[in-house]
Amino acid sequence: MNSYFLVVAILFPLIGGAFLPMVPWKTKRTQYIYIEGITILTSLLVLSLILWTPQESFRFANLAGPLEITFHMDGLSKIFAGIMAGLWPFAILYAFEYMKEEGHETRFFTFYLMTYGVANGIAFADNLMTLYMFYEMLTLVTFPLVMHSMSKAAIEAGRKYVFYSIGGAAFAFIGFIFILGYGDTIRFVYGGVITKEVTGMVLTLLQSAYVVSVIGFGVKSAMFPFHGWLPVASVAPTPVTALLHAVAVVNAGAFAIMRITYYSFGTSLVKNTWAQSIVLLLAIITIFYGSARAVKEQHFKRRLAYSTVSNLSYIIFGTLLMSPLGLVGALAHMVFHSLMKIVLFFCAGAILHETKREYIFELTGLARKMPKLMVCFTLSAFALVGVPPLTGFLSKWYLLQAAIKEGTPIAYIGLAVLMISAFFTALYLFTIVARVYSPRREFDYTSLGQVKDPNWFMLLPMGLFCGITIFFALHSLPLIHYFQAIANGTV
Amino acid sequence: MNEKIIVALILWPCLSAVFCFTIGRKHSRIRNSVADIMIGIEIFLYLLAVWEFYKEGMAMELVLPNVCGLGVSFRLDEFRILYSGIAIYMWFMSTIFSKEYFKHHQNRNRYYFFLLFTLGATIGVFLSNDFFTLYIFFELMSLASYVWVVQEETKEAIRAGETYMAIAIIGGMVLLMGLFLLYYEAGSLDFEAVHRLFLEKRNATVFVAGSCMLFGFGAKAGMFPLHIWLPKSHPVAPAPASALLSGILTKTGIYGVLLLCLSVFFEDRLFATILLLLGSITMLVGAILAVFSIDLKRIFACSSVSQIGFILVGCAMIGILGKEGSLAVQGTVLHMVNHSLFKLTLFLIAGAIYQNTHQLDLNQIEGFGYGKPFLKICYTIAGLGISGIPLFSGYVSKTLLHESIVEGSLIMAKTELGSLLSIVEWLFLITGGLTFAYILKAGLAIFYEKGKQPWEKGSYLNPMGRIAIGVTAFLLLCMGLLPRIMMDPIAEYVKGFFYEKEWHRIAYFSFVNLRGAMISIAIGLLVYFFFIRKKLMKKEEQGYQYFDCWPKWLDLENGLYRPVLLSFLPFIMAFFCRILSRFTDGFVVFLHQTVLKPAKTRQYVPIGSKFTDFLGRMVDEVVVGLNKTICKKKPIKKSFVELFAFARIEAKRTNRLVGRSVSFGLLMACVGLMITLVYLLATM
Repeated sequence: MNSYFLVVAILFPLIGGAFLPMVPWKTKRTQYIYIEGITILTSLLVLSLILWTPQESFRFANLAGPLEITFHMDGLSKIFAGIMAGLWPFAILYAFEYMKEEGHETRFFTFYLMTYGVANGIAFADNLMTLYMFYEMLTLVTFPLVMHSMSKAAIEAGRKYVFYSIGGAAFAFIGFIFILGYGDTIRFVYGGVITKEVTGMVLTLLQSAYVVSVIGFGVKSAMFPFHGWLPVASVAPTPVTALLHAVAVVNAGAFAIMRITYYSFGTSLVKNTWAQSIVLLLAIITIFYGSARAVKEQHFKRRLAYSTVSNLSYIIFGTLLMSPLGLVGALAHMVFHSLMKIVLFFCAGAILHETKREYIFELTGLARKMPKLMVCFTLSAFALVGVPPLTGFLSKWYLLQAAIKEGTPIAYIGLAVLMISAFFTALYLFTIVARVYSPRREFDYTSLGQVKDPNWFMLLPMGLFCGITIFFALHSLPLIHYFQAIANGTV
Repeated sequence: MNEKIIVALILWPCLSAVFCFTIGRKHSRIRNSVADIMIGIEIFLYLLAVWEFYKEGMAMELVLPNVCGLGVSFRLDEFRILYSGIAIYMWFMSTIFSKEYFKHHQNRNRYYFFLLFTLGATIGVFLSNDFFTLYIFFELMSLASYVWVVQEETKEAIRAGETYMAIAIIGGMVLLMGLFLLYYEAGSLDFEAVHRLFLEKRNATVFVAGSCMLFGFGAKAGMFPLHIWLPKSHPVAPAPASALLSGILTKTGIYGVLLLCLSVFFEDRLFATILLLLGSITMLVGAILAVFSIDLKRIFACSSVSQIGFILVGCAMIGILGKEGSLAVQGTVLHMVNHSLFKLTLFLIAGAIYQNTHQLDLNQIEGFGYGKPFLKICYTIAGLGISGIPLFSGYVSKTLLHESIVEGSLIMAKTELGSLLSIVEWLFLITGGLTFAYILKAGLAIFYEKGKQPWEKGSYLNPMGRIAIGVTAFLLLCMGLLPRIMMDPIAEYVKGFFYEKEWHRIAYFSFVNLRGAMISIAIGLLVYFFFIRKKLMKKEEQGYQYFDCWPKWLDLENGLYRPVLLSFLPFIMAFFCRILSRFTDGFVVFLHQTVLKPAKTRQYVPIGSKFTDFLGRMVDEVVVGLNKTICKKKPIKKSFVELFAFARIEAKRTNRLVGRSVSFGLLMACVGLMITLVYLLATM
């Protein structure tokens, strides 16, 4: 396909979203069809781009000197764009049903659609400038979604999100400047762009710049020390927490870290140095912190948010091991975690939507009333815990293999923490499963009232993603081979 | 056909689980029969597989490289045929028993689903040919069987379920850790490959890996100190499920330990010695707990712990004796088979009692078996078997184990290991005695003592239940009476699994061997009559009163594991997390207050003069200190800054007033005169 279509995939949802509030919609139905149509078309476009990839890159604009907006599609872009193209149309379907009660639907879907375009921009970015621009834009289009309900807590959360993100972007900018100064180019080239021999002070400076920019991009993935916004942001409507705070936005952070680690600074610059130890340590702390807090948390969605904090750092941990095997594990966890976590959030949202219950102790015995929903939840929970042979187990297997192969002390610490975190994961998810399925014998089912499974708008996405999870559990090898190709720089 | 039959053998129960569940939503009665038929078909598939095996004439291997990430592999050889056969047999018997047992229970559909599903996973465990496959099915089995434990949904059941789950997950994680390390060292998880690789050299990492794996498998087997789930979960689980938990699920752990002994630590003395110690402790602890218990199923559960200890000792002896370990091999295998069948019989008997009385406490069910010869005979066969009484099947396997220990202590005489083995031999005999004692205690209570209430004699067990118990007991009886025909061939059949051994047999009923059993019996009788009768029972008008005088604080779970896991670790975690949570925002606030301080705040304006303000603030600080300590009850609420400021103004005003007055002037003049006078006087 022509590389021109890359821009179309970005601009189409952006413009389509911008038009949404301007058109006087007669009925909700036509509005829904319009939204869903744009999403599906974009997804189809992205998927066909993945199948028939344009080889050349497309220069969209030139700002000044080397600073240009250019798009290109390589293996890594395909993974990230593919995840979103697969999930977005179904998440929108879910959002139709969910947002009926939240109000201000037009505003919501405007930004929801625009986020899709911006996220595609991150995926297709060919150089650091483009990535940085869309990264900033992502903050701007998503923060209205966080404070959608305009309650006091939501505004607080939105404020925190914006502060953290802008601060993080400033950190990331430092890295950008250094690449601009010391790299051959700001384009993404596998293996890094700093080919000149650097020693002494300059080396230390570059390594520090790397650490700073990892921390900066890590904000979106809620990496310590900027992890605070994600649990707070769980006040946002569920379609936002499910798709953006478990998949698109947080993965964008991990994706950006992959880009600067493998394609800008290059692994040879930082591997086995203090810089790697520091960023690995941050990831490890986050893994432990997220899962430990999740165990303590009683609010359903916030518990899942903490779980996301910890799981995103699995991905970052794999990335920062800076070995092909580590990247394979990271990519595998990125894909699999997206599928599992979106289902978990959808379930939490559906329960909230149907029963208005948001704390875990209120969920007792719900499985009898919502059997289909709970089957999806249980399956995804098991997968996330890493029950073999489900997908979570596979990605953890690759991550831990990479950690062992690395053999450094910090990698071993990571190994131990991953294990502990896996145990915590089991703890915080199985307690829910056990509570939902087997209440005490004397439990009074009438206290649940007239609760039943949500309608197919909500069930279809969950069921479908569960199906994909099972499919990947049984047959993931082609995908893993593709990850290996990416990790070795051949795609 | 050919190897594909293995997949069918594993998948069939899983598929039939779904099928039964779907039927059961509408027609529970049909579902019960369908479940029986499904396992019947499973037996047929099994026989087909065995036939294929013999047609082939060699072990069948099946590798599915693309499934589940790393690919799974299965193998069908003699040992696996034996143990999957036993698994299917036990499942069949407990399923036909379940129909009546669950007549008045809720959530039967769930029970049947997980019953069948676990069968598939268990068969998968026994047929696996590498540690990865083993681990996958092991975890599936652990998680699926959790539902059995919480089936009754009582408070105790849910608590026991927590324990079961925690042990299963922690065990699973540690096992996985071991597998990672092993994979890193060996590059493969295939049993054969690992066996060949580690024949000579084993470095420290391999030891760590192996220890982790022993922890994981030991947790499932019920090895000390991870045995805590058995006494908790067996009494609360439905009887057919307890039979399977104890008879087969613990054996999967043993199977893992055996594989560990045969592949990673083939003939490794050090590992075998550690295993020997753990096994001996398990054996003794289980038996002691059983002697003290008064809940029938808890007695059997603790007995399982103890018998698992016997089997672990056997595994250890295989490692210690190396090539000469044929007796240990025979003993281990036969005791595994025996124990599976004993526990099937005993737990189903407990189930038969429970479905009539809804009690398991010995005080409540006392005398239930009086005048019920069928139950009495079956209990006698299984009970005397498990105690190792001559002419019963347990005698054979225990004698073999005992002989292997004796053999070991003779070979290794005058070394440390040799003396350790002679201690273990005595522990072995003592534990055998304790076994006899608790079997006597439970047996006499149920079948010979007349209870406090008369039990009706009518039908207490339907024909299906009778078949399930009776056939197994009959099998045990034949095995005990005809060891050469029924038992030796079993051991000989599976010997290929244990690599080269110098095979030899012993005369079971020679004096030397009978002597061991006699010592055990004597110890058992002594314990029963002089300890249990005196200390744990009290005669009452009608029957006996049984006491559980096991000290409460001597409970590993409540005394150590739960406090550590639920209070101590969370506290540390919470502390750590709180610091991390505040870190970023706290740092920003810190900057805000120090480096990035916004324009200076309004300067402090002293109240009154500088001196009074300073003094007042000093005193205020002292007062604050006093309020917190001495004057806690009646705090001083005055502000001394203001007080002093007022005092100063007051003083100033007074001064002014005084200064302007006439009398003050006069006073001053007088003072002046006086001074002059004094000066004059002084100068003169």
